[in-house]
This record gives sequence, C-alpha cells and structure tokens, in this order.
Amino acid sequence: MDFFGSTSEKLKIPLLSDSISAGFPSPADDYIEENIDLNEHLISNPFSTFFLRVKGDSMINAGIKDKDLIIVDKSLTAKPGNIIIAMIDGEFTIKRLSIKNNELFLKAENHNYPDFSFRNHIDIQIWGVVIYSIHSYL
Amino acid sequence: MKSSSIEAIALIDANNFYASCEQSINPYLRNKPVVILSNNDGCIIARSPEARALKIKMGTPYFKDKERLNKLGVTVFSSNYSLYGDISRRLMNLLRNHCEEIEIYSIDEAFVSISRPDDKDLHPWARRLRSLIYQNLGITLTIGIGENKLRAKVANNLAKKIDYSAGIFDLARTKDENNYLKGISVDKLWGIGKQTSKWLKSKGIKNAKEFRDMEENEIIKKLGIVGRRLQLELKGYKCLPIEKRKKSKREIQVSRSFGTPITKSEDLTQALAIYAIKASAKMRSQNLQTSAISVFTRTSKYSSQNYQRSAYKKLINATNNTNTILKIVVALSKEIYNPEYKLSKAGVLMQDLTNYEYLQQSIINYKPQKDIQTSENLMKTIDSLNKRFNNKAITWAIAKKPREWTMNRNLLSRTSTTNIKQIPTIVEKKYN
Repeated sequence: MDFFGSTSEKLKIPLLSDSISAGFPSPADDYIEENIDLNEHLISNPFSTFFLRVKGDSMINAGIKDKDLIIVDKSLTAKPGNIIIAMIDGEFTIKRLSIKNNELFLKAENHNYPDFSFRNHIDIQIWGVVIYSIHSYL
Repeated sequence: MKSSSIEAIALIDANNFYASCEQSINPYLRNKPVVILSNNDGCIIARSPEARALKIKMGTPYFKDKERLNKLGVTVFSSNYSLYGDISRRLMNLLRNHCEEIEIYSIDEAFVSISRPDDKDLHPWARRLRSLIYQNLGITLTIGIGENKLRAKVANNLAKKIDYSAGIFDLARTKDENNYLKGISVDKLWGIGKQTSKWLKSKGIKNAKEFRDMEENEIIKKLGIVGRRLQLELKGYKCLPIEKRKKSKREIQVSRSFGTPITKSEDLTQALAIYAIKASAKMRSQNLQTSAISVFTRTSKYSSQNYQRSAYKKLINATNNTNTILKIVVALSKEIYNPEYKLSKAGVLMQDLTNYEYLQQSIINYKPQKDIQTSENLMKTIDSLNKRFNNKAITWAIAKKPREWTMNRNLLSRTSTTNIKQIPTIVEKKYN
C-alpha cells in the first residue's frame, strides 16, 4: 500500500523500514538525505513561474520539440538571446528574442516558421522568459 | 533606522481579479470583454474593464443578459476557483516580499505595513509594486495608503475614484484631505452598516469628513466604543493592528448550491455524502481531525418557500476517516430532509478540529490498533491515488450514482496553472 504513497508527496523523506532498525543500525543511517525535488532546483521564483506546453516544432533548432513541457519565469526581464513566450494577435508564441541591424525581433528556430518584427506587429507583448524545456524520450 | 521611521498601512487589492486571472493566462482574452459568473452560473460577479465599458452590470442574473452578452461578443466563464486560488497565493507571496507585515484580507486584498522612506514619499514603492505584479501575474493593483487600516481603505476607494491617481493614493500625504473625505459617503465607510448610516444621515452626517468631525460624545452614546474607534481611525489614530497570523482553521466546510433543486431524500443524502468525502480528504491533507460534524440544507433565497435545517453530532473519538464520517453524515441527512421543500443548497461542516496525532484515541471506544492502522492505510492509499489521478481515481459508491443536481459550471475555462493536463498550450503556426 505504501507503494502508492511514494508518488504523492511533493518531497518525500526516505525512512528506513522497521525491520532493519530492529536489528543493527544501518551504517547509512547518518547519511540519508532528502530526495531531489526538481521544483527546488529548477525554479528560483516559484510565485512567478508557470508551465506551458508547446505544439509544433518551430523551435527545433533550439532543441525544443513538439509536445515539450516548458517552464516560464515571468519575473525575468527578457534579454536578446533569451527564448521567450510572447502574446501576438491573441495567441501565445514561443520565439528567440533576437537583434538584427539594431532592431529587436522574434526569431523562429525553424525556417518553416515566420519571424515577427516589432515594427510590423504593434500588439506584441512579451509574457515571460523560458528557463527550461522538458522533453520525454518515451 | 527602521524603528524610527514612520509606519504606513496600505490596502492593496487586485482590480477585476477573476477576470484578470482568466485574461492573464489566455492571450485570446487580452483587451477583450470577459465576465465571470457566480457558482451555478447564476449572476455576473466579475467583469474585465472592457466588459465594464460595455455597461454590463455586476450582479445581473446570467439568463437575463445572455443574449446581449452574446451579441456584444463577451466571453463568459463560470468561476474557476482553482485558478483564482493559485493566482491569489502567488500574489500574496509576492506582496509579502515587498512589505514588512501582511494581513491577507480576502482572495484579492491585503493590508500591509511599510515604513516611509526619508522623503516620506511612498509613491515610488507603490509604482514599483504595481508594475512588478503586472509583469509577474498580469494583475493590476490598486494601492491605498494611510496611517491605519481604515484610512488605507478610504485611500483605496479614492485611488479607484480619481482618474489621475494611476491606481495609487496616499491619504496621509494629501493637502486636500477635507475635500477628498467629503467625496466619501458615510455608508461607504468600512465598518459602518446600514442602520448606523441611516442614523448618521438623520443627524445630518452625510460624508466621511462630517463623521470625522462629529461630536464624539454623540457617537459614543449611540454607537459605543466601536463607533468611537472608527472616528479615531478616521482622524488618523491607529486602533486596529495588522493581523499577521491567520487564525488557525477551526472548521472545514464543504457546501454547494445545486444546479437543479433537490426534492428526494436519496439525492440529499448523496450530495452530503460527496461533500463529506471531500471534507474528510481536506482534513487529512491538513493533518486535522474533527470531533463534531454538522450538516445543513436550505431552500433558495429567491424562492417563496423558506426552510432551513441543520443537524449536529458530537463524536467521542476525533476522526478524519471517510468511512466513519460518511456513516454519521448519512444518518444526519435523514434528520434535515423534508419532502415538502425544494432544497437548493446543502453542506457539511467539520468542527472542533484538532491536530491529528497518530492512533490517539479515547479508552471508551478502544479498538485494537491493527484495525485502525488498516483503515488509516486505506485512507492514505485513496488520497494518494486521487492526488495522482486528479481526484478521478477512487471514491465511495454513493458518490458514483448518476446525479441530476450537480453544480452548473457549463462555461468553465479549461486553462489551469495547477493541473498539468490543462496548462496553456502554445500552438505554433507555419508559413501559409
């Protein structure tokens, strides 16, 4: 029954089972540490961090693939070179914030997808900065 | 030194909170009219500024406005409390980092204390906070600043009323206080109820300035110490402290309005059983147990019938075990049922909550430990399965029978910040 319990806790602290502690103390007792919590390691601003899902391979050259989970931190101010989420014409888009001839634009990392220039789109709003993408190999 | 600087109180609240939550994670809704309906898709309870501009009124029953909303192209949502709760939690935690103390007052408002800088001007702080929260959460704040809670509340009102305030108003630093207070009607003052404002008006006191300057003995005679305290706060004295710690939860309530009124006994029992299952799981998640359970039901506030009943049972052993609680709730539900009424709402209340200690129990009802251990393991397993499968894995048979009375949330937005299956999706479009 405890088998199911292990997936439910956000941060599980491993404990030794009774049967072992009844006999000799385990030599590992003093070295047991908490499990690794990815939230803690990947997310430094939890209150401004959101998860989104990508559909399409517009960022394939940046290593972001269809169906990837991405982690977005809205507290960061976007800098050229960052991969960002923007709102354009009522939709989310994922692009790289880039600079060409002293002008900022949003670059798709796949030549089948369009770039967006701030000049041609009045209604661009940068929503957040992508800090990680998570891809499943299964 | 901090201790020598003057402390100010601010009341910070989020504008059009529910509508803003929806707009902040759904780009399609940006700059578009959005309204949110109350439970059961009853009335309009929130509007985006764009919906406000279309003169859509708060509190209007949805069925009355449905056609017009449709024609105007307004997006309509049922309340999505898991989204609003998550954004609220984020908001309060971000605010906490930018003030000294915080008292969370409701889902979208908080009192905070902050020391004034050397030049006494808190506008730069307030402007920074507003832009930070807008960037992080897409939520626009109104910030009212004063010497105490009442004046912070008044300042917040003024910030909303005055166009050029840009969402910030500092009542302690205005040169024209009398004029501003004259603009606040006494019945809009925090803490002044209907009866009191009627009495005040009969005495010729119409606005906050006149109340502030009223003869204090007259206030004490009629309104007692509470009225005097309000007047003193309005004058700038600090009477009410910031309450940092939330009082520990002494009860857990699960109650809902029914989409269709209930007339059958078994429907009422089923509804209460479902709420009892929810309430028990909630207690376990907070490590609490109950030693008093009550159930209640009532007819609609808008119907001509008027019926309300509750029933209560005190327990010898505190518990958070769903099986035990279900038995009690099912029995209690028979006590409050009345076939003559159309019941529109029911709920369960877990009271006398205490912290749950493993295997603590009274001697009178002693059971061998193994039994308790087994049922406790069962609860744990069910909770973890449900957590893993988003409350869809396992429940009691009574909750699974088909039901007709469930809450209407036909227009629930599907986007979520807390459920990975419903997070926002970025759909990339190729060249045409």
